[in-house]
Amino acid sequence: MRRLTIPAALAAALCAQAAYAQEETVTIGIVTAETGPLAAPGKFQMNGFNLAVETINEQGGFEVDGTTYKLELQVYDTRCNAAEGASAMQRLATVDQVPIVLGELCSPVAAAEAPIAQDMQVPLIITVPTASNLTEQDNPYFFRINAHNGQLNRALADYVQTIDAEPLAFIAWNNDAGRGGVNGMQALLPEDYEIGYVGYFNVGEVDFSNHVTNIRNSGAKSVMLLMDEEPGALAIRQLRDAGLDVQLIGTLAMGSNRFLDRLNADYLNGMVQYNSFPPNAPLERIKAFSDAYSAKFGEESHGFAAQSYDAVFAAVEAMKAAGTTTDGAAVRDALAELSFEGVIGPISFDEQGQASPPVYMTEWCEGGDRKVIFPAEMVADCGAG
Amino acid sequence: MKLSLSAIAGLALFVLGALAPLIFGSQPYILYVLTLALCYAIPAIGMNLLYGYTGLVSLGHMGFAGVGAYTTAVLMKDFGVPFVPSLLAGAGAAGLIGLVVGIPCLRLRSHFFIVVTLAVGMIMYTLFNNLDALTGGAEGLPGIPRPEGFAIGAFEVEFRSLTGFYLLVFTVTALVFLLQYVLVRSDFGRSLSSVRQDESLAAARGVNVFAHKLFAFVLSAAIAGVGGAMKVLFLRAAAPLSFELQESINLIMMLILGGAGYLIGPIIGAITFVALPEFLRVASELRLIFFGFVLLLLARFAPRGICGLTEAAYTKLSNREKAVVAHT
Amino acid sequence: MATAILEQFINGAMMGSIYVLMALGMVLIYGVMHVLNFAHGVLFMVGGYMAHLYFFNLTGSYPLAILCSMASLALIGMVLERLIFRQLRDNLRMQIVASLGLILIIQNGVVQLWGPHALQMRPASVDALVRVGQLSFTVQHFVIIGVVALAVTVLYLFLTRTRLGTAMRATSQHPEAAVVVGIDPNRVYTLTFMIACALAGLGGALLGPLFLIFPQMGDAPMLKALSAIIIGGMGSVPGAIVGGLGIGILESLSTLVIPTDYRDTIVFGALILMLLVRPWGIFGVRVRGEH
Repeated sequence: MRRLTIPAALAAALCAQAAYAQEETVTIGIVTAETGPLAAPGKFQMNGFNLAVETINEQGGFEVDGTTYKLELQVYDTRCNAAEGASAMQRLATVDQVPIVLGELCSPVAAAEAPIAQDMQVPLIITVPTASNLTEQDNPYFFRINAHNGQLNRALADYVQTIDAEPLAFIAWNNDAGRGGVNGMQALLPEDYEIGYVGYFNVGEVDFSNHVTNIRNSGAKSVMLLMDEEPGALAIRQLRDAGLDVQLIGTLAMGSNRFLDRLNADYLNGMVQYNSFPPNAPLERIKAFSDAYSAKFGEESHGFAAQSYDAVFAAVEAMKAAGTTTDGAAVRDALAELSFEGVIGPISFDEQGQASPPVYMTEWCEGGDRKVIFPAEMVADCGAG
Repeated sequence: MKLSLSAIAGLALFVLGALAPLIFGSQPYILYVLTLALCYAIPAIGMNLLYGYTGLVSLGHMGFAGVGAYTTAVLMKDFGVPFVPSLLAGAGAAGLIGLVVGIPCLRLRSHFFIVVTLAVGMIMYTLFNNLDALTGGAEGLPGIPRPEGFAIGAFEVEFRSLTGFYLLVFTVTALVFLLQYVLVRSDFGRSLSSVRQDESLAAARGVNVFAHKLFAFVLSAAIAGVGGAMKVLFLRAAAPLSFELQESINLIMMLILGGAGYLIGPIIGAITFVALPEFLRVASELRLIFFGFVLLLLARFAPRGICGLTEAAYTKLSNREKAVVAHT
Repeated sequence: MATAILEQFINGAMMGSIYVLMALGMVLIYGVMHVLNFAHGVLFMVGGYMAHLYFFNLTGSYPLAILCSMASLALIGMVLERLIFRQLRDNLRMQIVASLGLILIIQNGVVQLWGPHALQMRPASVDALVRVGQLSFTVQHFVIIGVVALAVTVLYLFLTRTRLGTAMRATSQHPEAAVVVGIDPNRVYTLTFMIACALAGLGGALLGPLFLIFPQMGDAPMLKALSAIIIGGMGSVPGAIVGGLGIGILESLSTLVIPTDYRDTIVFGALILMLLVRPWGIFGVRVRGEH
């Protein structure tokens, strides 16, 4: 190889220096549960954030006002505790001085974080909590990228009425997610729709024998499982082992291959669940995400991860549109006007900060893969769910 | 001046506390943590009355905080009742529940009393979580308003800002502290101590043990109610998980950390307990393990907490005999 | 309706046997040492993790994994008693503080080492199903009942027929008199704690594979077991058995009549009721001045 001539070497050095001087990082804030009883779903949320950051940084970062920025995350563990969430939010806003905060897992904690977002003028995009009242507080700094209970339950209530599901039974977590789901469904289903049984259980409980027996004795034809995948696998196993041939309706955690690994195709055959996106859909944006996720984490993706992934992109797009990486108020204004295609669908926030991503429903097939059964324009065969 | 060290410490805390917004004006996060700490200090003072001076362990005390919190929150949010009556109603409700619980349960001794308070606390948590229509349930109660400000002449007092609310909590804490001080220094307080040290002996000396215990329990429940109310007003949202078993356990731990039976023990304990994890945020997974070890060390070597250690060190240094009011 | 009641009764007895196993350990510690060990739940949980560890990394034999788990827990129990509880004898409040500290350390330590996700372990006894009328149980359910019965028998024989067991009973009845007749209280306390922890480990090793192994798996059972030993009578082994089964059956039957989100409330309500009416429990002995 020829020796580099001095001018060339000098030029190279200058370029490198210039590039170095141009590269900066933006730190965005994350609130999630890394420990505590909800640490398991929290992991998926973090995976989504981490994957998004990696994807953006690998593409060279993003450009705002002529400067290229790489992304970094400042993560705080709020452990589903309102006081911790609020102080994390306060710290992110005043000590770490982030332009935007993403995440949160538990609805009441998000409720405590929202007023601080407004006070400190740092927008907060939540990616998992589903309590409907969160986006009814007229808080201009509060955004939610995922569907809330009302939207999810709408899809479920519509679906349930198209099949022979009456009487319907519930097994639900006795927390914001589970109770919100049950209350929402009961509100949306017609007055005369028969609810056979409502079984609540605490996070951490594992024995569903009481509920299984009561469900059988109530003659329920379908069972809605409002919980995450760990208790979900147990509940389904216990239901099916007891010989109950009910129609199972699950949450987004139950529509992934990781869930399949906990059980098997026989247990899951015919089960229906909602999801924020079908991991195997042939759409380019979904395929890219699913492939990247399984490459990085060695397993199929989770709805929470997709929702969180999109939130990072929303934040970046907002910063680009606002032309700033430090002015929270400007970023907020940009978010309010934002519109882009995320993994979970078209993202844009209404005047209460709520996005309306499509709610999908997938069904498990005999061979252990899934098909999309709702919405009509996304219906796809086994293997594309 | 009987306890000059304690008096000095108390006054110092008061002055520092009052000046905190000035001292930490440029660091709102520290002021934030302090405000939160004071919201815990109030129920800790109530706990101090119950445990430090009367010797009763209650493992469900945050349940009473929750009663006060939800009462105040619902009155202010849904019925527009102003701050002071709402707060008093919250304290009253908590005290009333304390009465209802205390009358049948206070005759139980040590282990059994502890377990019954644990069970009561868990039932209260379940009620907060399940009674959706009343408390907002598991999804939480967002949108709790801050107290209305007022004007004194040309001077505007408001509570929406961090500084404004901090001063409000500080005032409430100071008032509760004053209440504790007056009670402890009174004859009633001395009788309480005698109950803690030896119930049978106190009864033999003519102390109505049950009445004393009940009064202490009801008052500590009411104070916890005030603390709970201040906390949800600060966060502007209420959640059942803020009042569950682990929170009640934290309350006892912060009191013991600070020093049960010392007037300023609960305040030191609350500030340390709330501030320490905030500074240890960098090692978020390990901080709970760290705190567990702190508890083990406390139990083994320093059951009197920080105040106790300080007092022991001071006594050693000054080699003086001290007339101590409230502990063995 | 009658079949529903019978079915829930059986469901409750199954879960109740787990409570019995946890309660046995707690009642031993309380009876002999007068310590309310709140950390029993996390020790139970460690038993589950130990079983998982031994099963997958050391031996593919489930019974062997259980025994190793029990041995590990006994060792941990010895260390805990020597280092912590021995120094805090007679100091009820500090014992409680110490056990709360232990819970923080152990539970979060487990999360550090194994992560927050639940572990699964499916030995053959968990996959094989058994039908009882319309109900379906796994072989493991019956293994648990069998093991609990065995544990109770062994414990009974130990306490009544061996020197060490008699020494334990003597110490629980009257510590000073026991010293007078030459019993070393330290040895007795350490042994008691070791046996109780081994029982906790056994419980975790049995329950874990049945459902899932996760950091909070012992929390709720501990509270139920605590209620069980109080209802049954603090310090009474038959009380622990009746209490544990009784609570399992009570909460199971309650789902027939009250909304299920109040299932726990029933148990705590029963606990409070018992404490108000008969604090020394069903089989307990009333000691004047102690209640």
